[in-house]
Amino acid sequence: MSTVSVRYIVDDVDAAIGFYCGYLGFSEQMHPDPAFAMLTRGDLRLVLVAPVLADHPGGGSRPMPDGTRQRPGGWNRFMLEVPDLPATAAELRANGVRFRNEIVTGIGSRQVMIEDPSGNPVELFESIRPEAHLSGSA
Amino acid sequence: MAADPLDALRLPIVPVEPRPRFADALLRRIEAAAEGRADPAAVRENPTVRYFVDDLGTAVAFYRERLGFEEELTSAPSFAMLHRGGLRLLLSVPGLPGAGAALPDGSVPESGGWNRMTLQVPDIAGAVETLRAAGVRIRAQVSAGVAVRQALIQDPSGNLIELFEPTAGYHERP
Repeated sequence: MSTVSVRYIVDDVDAAIGFYCGYLGFSEQMHPDPAFAMLTRGDLRLVLVAPVLADHPGGGSRPMPDGTRQRPGGWNRFMLEVPDLPATAAELRANGVRFRNEIVTGIGSRQVMIEDPSGNPVELFESIRPEAHLSGSA
Repeated sequence: MAADPLDALRLPIVPVEPRPRFADALLRRIEAAAEGRADPAAVRENPTVRYFVDDLGTAVAFYRERLGFEEELTSAPSFAMLHRGGLRLLLSVPGLPGAGAALPDGSVPESGGWNRMTLQVPDIAGAVETLRAAGVRIRAQVSAGVAVRQALIQDPSGNLIELFEPTAGYHERP
């Protein structure tokens, strides 16, 4: 059970599939319902769901028992390591992808935050110290 | 008495806080690798998730004690890194330097929202009951979805964590 799973709420599942598969290297694993798709990238499984009504069979994006509807957005996010962040960022920008900030250089990496078509953040980073790489025993 | 000329070469003694949990976790991983039973995910790219939390110590304690994460490093008061299986979880504090810092447009990251990690558990009813008894907030009770039963809990900052238990028809990627 090595797969890590993250659920993102999106307004439009098809637009989100186009973004994650088209720009960020995800593969579509299943899309059995207009409100649901499962994508993978390495060991990360990304579950995309559009908000549904309380009687929808898919349980992940129904309203809460108190009626609150789930929405895209927020600040919590998954992160993707890329080998050359400036090049990746330039390519995404040329394709009209929205950025929340400019590239920030931290202690072990530099990073930038982009948004999917629903406004969900995705953090891209490039390790600039060997021990910050995600692979290996760090 | 004349000063020892070697004093100039001696390095200052810097107090280092012992990190027994980190040392234990590291030792376990080294031993696992040496015995060839290392989790393959641990030597590939670890999927990473960043959550914003109001208080680092409270959050680290929650993820360790309630959800079985291991603490990898903590840089108090602004940042911690934990892991659970192949998942690496970064915790950052809004308003503090690092990922919690304000963006150029002045907006400051905050906890909450609906996007979340989903953690597989073998017995979701039991897991939710244990968490409830420990005082963890349950945002959505166990309900049936397609091929899973799931529930939503909240960390002390209000971030969601989805727990799920596979049921008939669940597909796991080989």
